[in-house]
Amino acid sequence: MEKPYRLSVFFCTRIVENEAPLLSQAPESVEIRPVPMACSSMVKDLFLLKALEAGADAVSVWVCPEGACRHVQGNLRAKKRVQRVQSLLEDIGLDGRRLTFFNLAPQDRVSISSRLEEIAALLAGIGKNPAGPPRSRDAEPGPATPAGLEPKAPDTHPG
Amino acid sequence: MIVGEQKPVQEILQMVAPHRKFLILGCGTCVKTCFAGGEDEVALLASALRLASRKDGRPVEIEELTVERQCEDAFIAEAAEAVSRNEAVLSLACGAGVQAVARRFPRSPVLPGVNTTFLGVLEHQGLFTEECAGCGDCQLAVFGGVCPFSRCAKKLLNGPCGGSQEGKCEVDPDTECAWHLIIERLSALGRLDQLRAYVPPKNWQTSLSGGPRKLIRKDHVI
Repeated sequence: MEKPYRLSVFFCTRIVENEAPLLSQAPESVEIRPVPMACSSMVKDLFLLKALEAGADAVSVWVCPEGACRHVQGNLRAKKRVQRVQSLLEDIGLDGRRLTFFNLAPQDRVSISSRLEEIAALLAGIGKNPAGPPRSRDAEPGPATPAGLEPKAPDTHPG
Repeated sequence: MIVGEQKPVQEILQMVAPHRKFLILGCGTCVKTCFAGGEDEVALLASALRLASRKDGRPVEIEELTVERQCEDAFIAEAAEAVSRNEAVLSLACGAGVQAVARRFPRSPVLPGVNTTFLGVLEHQGLFTEECAGCGDCQLAVFGGVCPFSRCAKKLLNGPCGGSQEGKCEVDPDTECAWHLIIERLSALGRLDQLRAYVPPKNWQTSLSGGPRKLIRKDHVI
């Protein structure tokens, strides 16, 4: 049965190596679309908006603690991009709170669970994405991250 | 390069409001470098406008295209088919590009999505500074390669105002004092003496003050 809310989570694979811990801790009301990244620097502003266009009710970006990025500035770059998109969402009246950003320590399952619950509570308050594509109650949920936009592990340093 | 920044999205939304199907046309040269109007910015703006229009229950159809330069007709021509398919064009070029596109497609409304700001340089990633006023009469040889017309808030030509502190401008402490830079540079070159020569008031007739300018290269005109 389709869950009421969709959440796209862009996460650095140093925090969680794969999507299993996210999916296993998903709140009852939230369907999670995980997008693993070899480094959070791979997240682009466009990916975040496209996720909302594709039907995500919220998007969250999870990065390593400041000072702990293996590519030095990846998490700082991700933070700046998220802030810009939050501002853009406010400008178009879409509520910047739909995009969240968290620094998480590697393998911190407790924090993962509490962040997901936090987002579920937020979604219960702000409701579905009013700019998402129409969805029917019985329809199979579509991708919350459009095909081709999922970041792939880089062969080299992301720079 | 020409430096510009994208207009606030609210202003853009108001401009495109009468149109249900439009083209966002990027420019792959100057405004791409300053993150205002290249392919990435076209895609981001298109996505934001689609979200905004869906939220308001008035979905729009947006086509995206970026040409190499919007200030050259040969490149603008590549957009002809896309322009013909749409009600209007939202150009993310500098003001010159917007006008060149409008001239080429007289039946299509061409809207500016970028505020053209200045002629400048990339100082470091994400920071652009104005370094040329396009005055039409370059005097950089006199000033050791630092332009007081564009970089001194008071446009002084015969020495500093005396208000700078630790090399910073008194008008804006985040800006380096152009005259501090000029003196440092000429000192390093051992040519400080050249500042003894009086520099007459600037003749602004060669600038925009003399009206719209034209540059004619006769050897290229047939």
